[in-house]
Amino acid sequence: MRSTKLGLLLFFTLMVLMTVHVQAHHAFSTEFDSSHPVSFKGTVTKVELINPHSWIHIVVVDASGASVTWMIEGGSPNALVRRGVTKASIPVGSELSVTGYQARDGSNKAVGRDIAFADGRTLFFEGSRAPGASVTSP
Amino acid sequence: MKHTQPTYLVSLLAALIVLTVPLHVCAQEQRKTAWGEPDLAGAYTEFTIAPLERPEELGTKEYFTPAEAEIFQLQRLEEVNQDDETEPGTQADVHYDFGTYALSANEGITSPNLRTSIIIIPNNGRIPPLVPAAITRRDARGDARLGHEFDGPENRSLTERCIVWPSTLPPILPGGYNSNLQIFQSPGYVIIQGEMGDPRIIPTDGRIVTDSLPQWIGNSTGRWEGATLVIETTGFNDNTAWRNATANMHVTEWLTRLDDDTVEYRFRVEDPQTWAEPWEGVYPLTNLNGLLFEYACTEGNYGMANILSGERAVEQQAEKQ
Amino acid sequence: MKPFFITLFLQILLAAQQVYAAGPLIEFPRASDGHPDFSGVWQTLSSAHWNIEPHVAAAAVLPALGAQFAVPPGMGVVAGGTIPYLPEAKAQRDRNFTARLLEDPEGKCYLGGVPRSTYMPYPFQIFQNINEIVMVYQFATGLRRINVGGTEEAPLDSWMGWSNARWDGDTLLVEVSGLNGLTWLDRAGNYASANARITESYTPLGPNHVLYEVTIIDATVFAQPWKISMPLYRIVDADFRLLEFKCEQFAEEKLYGHLRKPEAQ
Repeated sequence: MRSTKLGLLLFFTLMVLMTVHVQAHHAFSTEFDSSHPVSFKGTVTKVELINPHSWIHIVVVDASGASVTWMIEGGSPNALVRRGVTKASIPVGSELSVTGYQARDGSNKAVGRDIAFADGRTLFFEGSRAPGASVTSP
Repeated sequence: MKHTQPTYLVSLLAALIVLTVPLHVCAQEQRKTAWGEPDLAGAYTEFTIAPLERPEELGTKEYFTPAEAEIFQLQRLEEVNQDDETEPGTQADVHYDFGTYALSANEGITSPNLRTSIIIIPNNGRIPPLVPAAITRRDARGDARLGHEFDGPENRSLTERCIVWPSTLPPILPGGYNSNLQIFQSPGYVIIQGEMGDPRIIPTDGRIVTDSLPQWIGNSTGRWEGATLVIETTGFNDNTAWRNATANMHVTEWLTRLDDDTVEYRFRVEDPQTWAEPWEGVYPLTNLNGLLFEYACTEGNYGMANILSGERAVEQQAEKQ
Repeated sequence: MKPFFITLFLQILLAAQQVYAAGPLIEFPRASDGHPDFSGVWQTLSSAHWNIEPHVAAAAVLPALGAQFAVPPGMGVVAGGTIPYLPEAKAQRDRNFTARLLEDPEGKCYLGGVPRSTYMPYPFQIFQNINEIVMVYQFATGLRRINVGGTEEAPLDSWMGWSNARWDGDTLLVEVSGLNGLTWLDRAGNYASANARITESYTPLGPNHVLYEVTIIDATVFAQPWKISMPLYRIVDADFRLLEFKCEQFAEEKLYGHLRKPEAQ
């Protein structure tokens, strides 16, 4: 009995310590450079809510006043579709604010670490958590 | 003698009631299709509280008590839905935010499961050891790739190449986000489609496959045994190598509807050239209450190009130094 | 009770035989709800996949491929013969044709979309039940779910589109929307945009033939709606099964070859 309880305690401790994450399925560290963070506001020109990763295209006006198009990588849209997100959710012309990391090959692509509407609204849902991302029983 | 007769009758009646209750319950829950087969159709999440393998400390303990399960469930859900707090400027931070895209492992759905693991055979709830030949194969693959991981697309994983996502292969095991599947039925066929992969077309007349053409997802044939669909799959190709298995892997699956929201999924994996013994597992498929969206992977695979061009940039920078 | 079960059993056997019989049928099968049952394996027989407009034979896109991969002639499947492009769209079609070796989505193993998937020279299988019809196309394992009686709009665009269907007598009418405009209509560069609304109709022509017709409406590309029409032929080969045509690996050199690690000098 005692060893089982100890075993369980050990098990639960391990579970808490393990950072079992939903794993990225590809090599982000090769695609994007952790030493090249980016942060900007831009206007949406195109939204690709696609698999395996969504991409949002924004036009950013740089320091010199030139317009530069960036592609921002995000997640699979499948869970979004189940929560009522449609192609109208991010209208072309919306202002977004993005922080992320630039592509290693120097192109104007970045993974969007954090992305939201420039006025502070979350990108897809009200509040800080997506519906369905909390503990519920059926 | 006289007083034992009513006792005998009462016992008989009691036995009949006990025997028919489970049948009665099954009959109530047995939904049928329009053509009279058990109805397995629906969209389901594969996510379950039980992990694939039982931690070694739990030994042969197959079930939690309800009290233990409650603690375990809270911790497990917390860990799969945690905010990904990462340190800016580190590799771990180079990722999109899962919460923004509602990409949790269970999308808010959970179903009761008192088991300590998905695997039930062998009785330690863990995958049996690999046989020496399998270890050799696995190591040979690793060695061949060492130093060449980014040479070209064929050196990348089957998921990065958009060829096959392992969790959509039989046996179907939950893993990561979009761990969902849809079951469609029409007379003579069941189609199981994993959200991240190709559909598995399963004829249900128990036919034998007459050609010997290996397929990435194997060749499946099904038959009904009462309320259960039994699926046998063989004929994998050499490249699928699911968990280091060979093309001779043989998978048996049993699907049974338990109630309106749940289908029990049980599987058995056999490959003597890979595992010392066959292994089996069971877990519930739970109603997803949502639709699966198209997984057109190669069409949107900017990632492969970015990975290769990123590595070429790293190589060029290294050459300059 | 007993005769009922025997009859039911025999009916199921008969239905099963009709669906799985190796060989042509003498009557177009009916589903349990009385509608024609389009379940089965089908394929088209034309050179529409090369060019849906009428065309004479032509050289292969790469001369080295010789006669083997030359373009066969076709009487065309477009009603009236010519697609009614708007002038600028026709110029785009011509640019597509010139760039077809590199740009044809089919060469990249991209899904064929609708209606191209139907007349690609590969089989596809229809699975029909009362509320839903699934079509699986051999090329790149394309799959469509067709909602019978469905009215919802597509939440997002997709390669295989969003299909709602209804019955009109013995004809199945399928409204397809939410196409992403990234597919072509054939190997000659004919195309429609993401604004396209497509209506397919499937009508039994005989026990082993279905008349397949498609109306395409896209005011941003075409001056008026137009139609294509062709038969579907039932595959009657014994023991036929839809083998995988997972072409992703065959397209890797085309898509990523230029990003390979250069050979060591």
